[in-house]
Amino acid sequence: MEEVVRQHYADHEKQEIFDKEFLPHIHSMYNFGYRLTLDRDDAKDLVQDTYFKAYRFIESFQKGTNAKAWLFRILKNSFINDYRKKVKEPNKVDYQEVESYYNSDDVDRQITPDLRVEALRDMIGDEISNALNALDVDFRTVIILCDLEGFKYEEMAKILDIPIGTVRSRLHRARQLLKEKLSEYARSMGYKNT
Amino acid sequence: MSLPNPFPLNNGKKATCREMLQVILDDEASTEQREYFKAHMEFCMPCFKDYELNIAIKQLLQAKCNSVAPEGLKEQIRNRIAQII
Repeated sequence: MEEVVRQHYADHEKQEIFDKEFLPHIHSMYNFGYRLTLDRDDAKDLVQDTYFKAYRFIESFQKGTNAKAWLFRILKNSFINDYRKKVKEPNKVDYQEVESYYNSDDVDRQITPDLRVEALRDMIGDEISNALNALDVDFRTVIILCDLEGFKYEEMAKILDIPIGTVRSRLHRARQLLKEKLSEYARSMGYKNT
Repeated sequence: MSLPNPFPLNNGKKATCREMLQVILDDEASTEQREYFKAHMEFCMPCFKDYELNIAIKQLLQAKCNSVAPEGLKEQIRNRIAQII
């Protein structure tokens, strides 16, 4: 963990950082909150709490550094501390399973359900959103951070407090699981596995 | 088609298709790695299909899984902070 160097900001500087560096991320923050809690009201509260904390601890933020990653980390920690207890989600990721995949090359190409691009083109409703929401929260999270928010491994590792190797393996597993979900939808839409 | 392989070795072995694809999908690839993989896909059908599928999923995610914060949320946040200033 890097050492936090406390900054000293005048009130108008705090306001400026908050308005120009923090608030512009509100939509991404809200989406992250929603995908974590799966509840729009909880997401609102979570985002409000996160911004409130961000303001209170603004002097731990170094101007010009990655505000979005900093905010995402606070949001994720608030979720774990304040919301995860409320949400019924007993099934934790089996990390052993996740880590071991690297030793078994090409195994998952065989078990990957055959999903076709054409089937995806027909998913014009909530299929993808439902598929994403159905994943365990830890898997959902890495997909959001990587594919929706464009964070790099290193940033994700900091946001989630996990090693880069775990980010990589979790992302791999998450993509597999998402594909499995999507191919279930494809099958129910009448696409045959070919 | 004799570009040097720019992907790092893994335990002394060259990167597998799956490892290369993940670097590309996770957007961690260098320009050289991208070029190499593009050339590789021309003769590796499984990689080409996997790549296409994963990119289609990514695009679907981006098109369908974003949300907009409710109206007034920014104001609520500002008001709450105004109380502690």
